[in-house]
Amino acid sequence: MSAAPPDVAVTPLLVVEGLGKSYGSVLAVRDLSFSLRAGEFVGLLGPNGAGKTTTIRMLTGLARPSAGAIRYDGRDFARAPRMAKRNIGVVHQVTNLDRDLTARENLTLHAILHGIGGRERAARVAEALRFAGLEDESDRAVRTFSGGMGRRLVVVRALLHRPKLLFLDEPTVGLDPQIRRDLWQLLLRVNQASGTAILLTTHYIEEAERLCGRVLILDRGGLVAEGAPETLKRTVGRFVVETVRDDRIENSFHETRGDAVARLGSCTATCKVREATLEDVFLKLTGRRIERGA
Amino acid sequence: MALDGVRGVLYRQLTLYARRARKQVPASLVSPLLFLVAFGWGLGGGASVEGVSYLAYLVPGLVAMSSLMQSYGIAQELNISRFYFRVFDEFLIAPVAPFEIVLGEVLHGMFRGLVSAALILLAALAFGVPSAPSPLLAAALLLHTFVFAALGVAMAMLVQDHAGQAALTNFVITPMVFLGGTFFPVERLPAPLALAVSALPLPHAVRLIRDTFLGRPADPVHLLVLAVFAAGFFALALHAVRRVEA
Repeated sequence: MSAAPPDVAVTPLLVVEGLGKSYGSVLAVRDLSFSLRAGEFVGLLGPNGAGKTTTIRMLTGLARPSAGAIRYDGRDFARAPRMAKRNIGVVHQVTNLDRDLTARENLTLHAILHGIGGRERAARVAEALRFAGLEDESDRAVRTFSGGMGRRLVVVRALLHRPKLLFLDEPTVGLDPQIRRDLWQLLLRVNQASGTAILLTTHYIEEAERLCGRVLILDRGGLVAEGAPETLKRTVGRFVVETVRDDRIENSFHETRGDAVARLGSCTATCKVREATLEDVFLKLTGRRIERGA
Repeated sequence: MALDGVRGVLYRQLTLYARRARKQVPASLVSPLLFLVAFGWGLGGGASVEGVSYLAYLVPGLVAMSSLMQSYGIAQELNISRFYFRVFDEFLIAPVAPFEIVLGEVLHGMFRGLVSAALILLAALAFGVPSAPSPLLAAALLLHTFVFAALGVAMAMLVQDHAGQAALTNFVITPMVFLGGTFFPVERLPAPLALAVSALPLPHAVRLIRDTFLGRPADPVHLLVLAVFAAGFFALALHAVRRVEA
């Protein structure tokens, strides 16, 4: 395998090559390779247990890779972790705020850890509280916060040191639909307003389709497909006719709406036409579904 | 070196300490004061050990015990914040060196231990046991609290759950506190047990604290042993933080 000559002007923010992680005999992630450029919004989509969280933990230094290399701005992460850590922000699946500290104190702690001091610190903390819509709750202990407030706070905390790349691990799990949509808006603003690249893991199809310009589909620790959601969907056919037989649903895929409607005409059971989703892509590739019970 | 990690850890811990001190500090004084009353006044009233009144013998022992419990006690909170609230991840993903995290936590443990030592020395005054605050006593307490704070950080990072932590406390820390020269001279134990206890750090710390408290010449051997434990525990804590996969 020969790599293309490196072009300094477009060195990707992040390059992952042959990344692997095993726990004993269990292979959590295997031979994962991808890259990420400045300003991109990329989704790591896959069912629970596909290796998404393990991947994020390796990319942020919380787990040691068993194989492969991670490079930020062309530099080896294992050799120069501090340099890379300045340029990345992380939102974990668990809201890991200090419950006994206030929102302001949680942000102040993050600022200190990133060497932001003095007036700059106060200004950035105030700005973050405003961005999260938590100005009126800034001096309340975080233990009194709702799930949505906590999520907004961890997002603005991860952005406080103005990282070039933000990681989010299943950021909307367990949130009400309305709060989920609010958080999506917040993430889109972050990506568009400041050009922060985002890598988000999710097992929600709608989340990946709404937010991500590019999706990496992960299954059983390995990459099974990669591309823009629209491109991936075109590989299965853009329209689906669902035929209900007994308690099973059979899908047929069609290039155009016309083809699908024509198929509908010959339908003898209960049938409906819908647009293809990334779930169909995953189903076609693996024979299984991403969203449990979907 | 900016030491942002040290400052971050201390900011968090001292903010929390200020918030909880009103409850925690009086609570931490209850058991040493009970020992002072029960053993110093009740059981040992009028007795003398090593040429001083038992009360004067006991006070430095209680200072050592109480500051150990406070300095080592940070382990439990660290453990909870690491496993239960995942707060520790915030330090691990920050651009700071593991050395800074360990140093910050150790300084916090030392601070907790030194506060409790100072309060017991003050309480002892009320019991008629005067203590001349000497630089040697201060140095002994600094070293003592460093050793046990570093042990606390190391344990919090090494154990995989609360049960492991509790087992260490019950099988090593508690026997060491009772047998390590706090309440009576180690030499009164049967020889094999005395030897085993002497391999632990506390008896050496107690000797240093007691000798400097009573104004007696301190044996540099204890200083050396304690310094070795201090370096060993700090290195262990550092190693544990470096390899932790949170």
